[in-house]
Amino acid sequence: MKKFVHKRAMLLMMSGLLLAAGCSGNSGGGSGTSGGEGGETEGLTKIQVFKSHMGVGSIPDSSNPHVQYVAEHTGVEYELITPPPGSEPAEYINMMIASDDLPDIMRPIGGVEQTLIQQGGALPLDDLLPEHAPNVWNSIPEEAWDIVRSSSEDGKIYYVPKVFLIPERSPLIRQDWVEAVGHDMPETVDDYVELLKAFRDEDPNGNGKADELPTTGREFGRWMDHLFAIYGVAMWEGYPEWDVYDGEIQYAGITENMRAAIEFMRMLYEEKLLDNETFLNKGDVWQAKINNNLVGSWYHMPANVRDRLAAMRTQAPDAYIAAMPLPQAEGYEGFVTVKSMGEPEWMIPKAAEANAIASLKLLDFFYNPEHDEFGRYGIEGMHYEMGENGRKVILPPEDSRPLRLGMRNLTTAEDMELRIEETFPEEDWQMVKDMYEVVEQDAKRIAGDGLPASVYQGFPDIQSHKLFQETMTRIIIGERPIEAFDDYVAQWKASGGDTVTERVQEWYEKVK
Amino acid sequence: MKPTIGEKTFQAFNYLFLIVAAATMLMPLLHLLAMSFSSPIAADSKEVFLWPVEFTTGAWTHVLQNAGLWRSFGITVYITVVGTALSMLFSILTAYPLSRKEFLIRKYVMFAIVLTMIFNAPMIPFFLTVRELGMMNSLWALIIPGLIGTFNLVIIRTFFMGLPKELDDSARIDGCNDFRILFQIYLPLSKAVMATVSLFYAVGYWNTFQRAVLFIRDQDLYPLQMKLRSYLVSPEELAAVNMFLGDYDFNTTTLKAATIIFATVPIILVYPYLQKYFVKGALLGSLKE
Amino acid sequence: MAELSADRTSGSGTKETDRSERPAPRKPGNRYVENVRKHWMLYVMILPGILFYIIFKYIPLAGSVIAFQNFQIFNGIFGSPWVGLDNFKFIFTYDDFYNVLRNTALIALYQLVFGFPAPIILALLFNEVRLMLAKRTLQSLFYLPHFLSWVVVGGVVFELLSNQGFVNAIREWFGYGPILYMQESRFFRTIVVISAIWKEVGWGTIIYLAAISSIDPSQYEAAVVDGANKWKQVIYITLPALFPTILILFLLNIGNFLELGFDQMFNLLTPMTYSVGDIIETYVYRAGVLQGQYSVTTAIGVFQSVIGFTLLWIFNRLARKSEQGLW
Repeated sequence: MKKFVHKRAMLLMMSGLLLAAGCSGNSGGGSGTSGGEGGETEGLTKIQVFKSHMGVGSIPDSSNPHVQYVAEHTGVEYELITPPPGSEPAEYINMMIASDDLPDIMRPIGGVEQTLIQQGGALPLDDLLPEHAPNVWNSIPEEAWDIVRSSSEDGKIYYVPKVFLIPERSPLIRQDWVEAVGHDMPETVDDYVELLKAFRDEDPNGNGKADELPTTGREFGRWMDHLFAIYGVAMWEGYPEWDVYDGEIQYAGITENMRAAIEFMRMLYEEKLLDNETFLNKGDVWQAKINNNLVGSWYHMPANVRDRLAAMRTQAPDAYIAAMPLPQAEGYEGFVTVKSMGEPEWMIPKAAEANAIASLKLLDFFYNPEHDEFGRYGIEGMHYEMGENGRKVILPPEDSRPLRLGMRNLTTAEDMELRIEETFPEEDWQMVKDMYEVVEQDAKRIAGDGLPASVYQGFPDIQSHKLFQETMTRIIIGERPIEAFDDYVAQWKASGGDTVTERVQEWYEKVK
Repeated sequence: MKPTIGEKTFQAFNYLFLIVAAATMLMPLLHLLAMSFSSPIAADSKEVFLWPVEFTTGAWTHVLQNAGLWRSFGITVYITVVGTALSMLFSILTAYPLSRKEFLIRKYVMFAIVLTMIFNAPMIPFFLTVRELGMMNSLWALIIPGLIGTFNLVIIRTFFMGLPKELDDSARIDGCNDFRILFQIYLPLSKAVMATVSLFYAVGYWNTFQRAVLFIRDQDLYPLQMKLRSYLVSPEELAAVNMFLGDYDFNTTTLKAATIIFATVPIILVYPYLQKYFVKGALLGSLKE
Repeated sequence: MAELSADRTSGSGTKETDRSERPAPRKPGNRYVENVRKHWMLYVMILPGILFYIIFKYIPLAGSVIAFQNFQIFNGIFGSPWVGLDNFKFIFTYDDFYNVLRNTALIALYQLVFGFPAPIILALLFNEVRLMLAKRTLQSLFYLPHFLSWVVVGGVVFELLSNQGFVNAIREWFGYGPILYMQESRFFRTIVVISAIWKEVGWGTIIYLAAISSIDPSQYEAAVVDGANKWKQVIYITLPALFPTILILFLLNIGNFLELGFDQMFNLLTPMTYSVGDIIETYVYRAGVLQGQYSVTTAIGVFQSVIGFTLLWIFNRLARKSEQGLW
């Protein structure tokens, strides 16, 4: 039976085509498509949705209550396609394109949206969105649509962008440690260094051992953006971004600010204020250090501290995490990098044009505020349980639990507030909300927000930040002198950086 | 003859070295085993070494009750058994003519086959070829495209070539044809090499991952390794959505440890079983029969 | 030996191949037809194998032409423009190409010099263990790491060499400060080679153990009677008996000389060690998988294969002088 599966899929797609053709006929007669909510279920349209990075879980089939719930409300039955666990999603998606096996609507990754746009495989959505996905169209700010337009040659909208209207990441600090060493929240870099020294020398975790790591990050220089941010370097999880320096948009990795930040970190490293293993920390090691009350200052997502706190509190019952306002460095204007819009979230391949209206209807369902709660929790017993005091508790992801499709990627301050209240115990609400309040003060949306990946074409080493990472790490650990930075800048420019910069500046002309 | 002092010293050092080295090879698995029986917080905090901390069977209960995992286990056993059998059959059939001098084109065929070891087909054309054959989403896609491993083929062929020529001369006089020489004379003499190559194939099939990623879309057909990988990929990117409130006695770290053990131990057990074919003089013994 | 040399000359088409079974010489043109007619069974046997290689190896291999295209996945092989040798030019003018190539070749050489003999030596050591139970148990333990993925092994290596790790604990015990081995380029290649040996040596031993098991024990008995000690037995009996296997495995290895395996390097490499550890596979990953430049990566693959083929050709010729080659 198995070998007929692909034939069945073909049949389904054909019938999908016919149905969609019927639907668009309807809408011509008077926008009848959205009127039939929950009603005439005879004409279910099947839509293949590609989304990667779904995590652990099984793929829902058509009898899945989540799928059915969505189908009841939209007349669209979604069929989730996701790269198998452990595969390289970018490769998987390339293979789909190569074999003409594109889904009806997809979440592009690894710059594949540009491949499709440039090779004529993407469907322009300018006319379709306002009519068939009004909730999407209206809830995403016009500014974001402009950025999307800027990323294609012809200025059309080829994808629905991700929008994250609040800062997502923040410098974090152990408030209880700050108090334990009798300091205040640092205001200047000097204060910060003094505080880190106190962390190093005064045993804030109280175990009698000098095992504290005042601040730390991860391999490739990831998750140590707070140290770059002090010097006004646009940085996203350790990858230099593009922002305006000296009046022009530039790669933050080659700026004077970067040089200063690296020099600063080199000092921290030498003084053992920066974890000497910082560039060797794999994710689990880094997390274990934080969990085990070894780290005073780090960079991560406030919405995510819950499990860490739980671990810390097994040893340190008073553990308290706060966001650290960026300390002032003289001559530099520090900021926490925010990328809030423009990253591609959903696009429709041209080949799936016939199903486009149904796809958009599905997408619109998730952007409809009425379905917010459903979008967050899914189905009771399958995705969440009623916990004590009537709160819904999301069940942990596991291999046998069906995944559920979520398509809305729009986060506002209210969303975040809800999320905090839903996921944290009540006594921690204020703590997490405070973090967002603090980081809000330092947050800045960078000029390069929404930059299309196509600017890097032909320069994989520029795109992968290889040169930067090599130079930055080796200077910080003291293996190369700081002057090596200047050689690197020259080399970066010569090996394609200049070309990429030109492309970025052209792009920036269009959006600004 | 009694062992000299030199030989005794050597023996002692040999044992010492082998035991210490073997211990280092056992340790990672013991560590994973300990992790799989530890509490999630202890596991995430790296407190576990070779003994569980805050002992719990949470992860194991979860793994062993997971129907999907058992199904994948079944799939993997199936492709391992069927695949190894088919691979052995076709490798032997291919190796035999290539070991015969009277097979006139063997040099050219051999050359062409070895060439494919060096020149690898790019992934996309390979994918498209298998897809055109209608194997998408079928377990055959996990078996047929890797039916013959050139490495294994060469091993078998080399062994066949080393068999004494007198054997088939006498067989020919008895009027045996090639099929009979192969199956009634060569194979019984090749137990050790056949055991080795079967093991290579079986382990290969057991670890099938890359082809499964390419060709299997239906998760009911996922082999074990695909399930396993879902725990091996870094969950960091998912962290933002990956939130839950209840208190559980397992998490991804402990599940990962338990799943690795679950997916590895069965195939590890195959080798000790095959070792009986590696007894000294296996070849000679059968010659004398 | 004589048979082999007769076989080698058969390609010229002038000599008869089969010593015994040809009653009279025939016209050279008919040789193949005659061979098929006479040994049709062999051809029947090998047919499925040949079909397999054509369908699953050679047809996809034809896709390598994308090395000469600017391959666009959306438009496919037939819709993509031809660019001649541009992709090769791109590779050879890539700034870091020679560094990457040097790293690859050096690590490959170390793997060959240290990694290749390791399982042979281990097999000989196993062979000296007389207690059958100990021998089998040890063998079974040695092959465990083969089943761990590099993600897991990489984690173990980092852990072992970390500040709190085993190696630095020993250093501390002797009064030395810790060394962060993983971020110092001078240690990197050593770590790569040792970890690869640790992971694969037991697995690699299996085939030699199988070969040892087919040595006739009476040879050893005779040697003992002649007064040969253990060492001499190894030199004069075991090793010569293993030699054909060693040779064949060497040839099989040399063809893939420049292919080191992505997983290991990916899991051990950090930016601090790029200068010594960035190899072809890691570059291909950055350029091909992440950027979708399939033409460039295919061109690199072709380059690797040509090198591999040249090496194999040379060594196969050498091998045929003493023993048998691969073809």
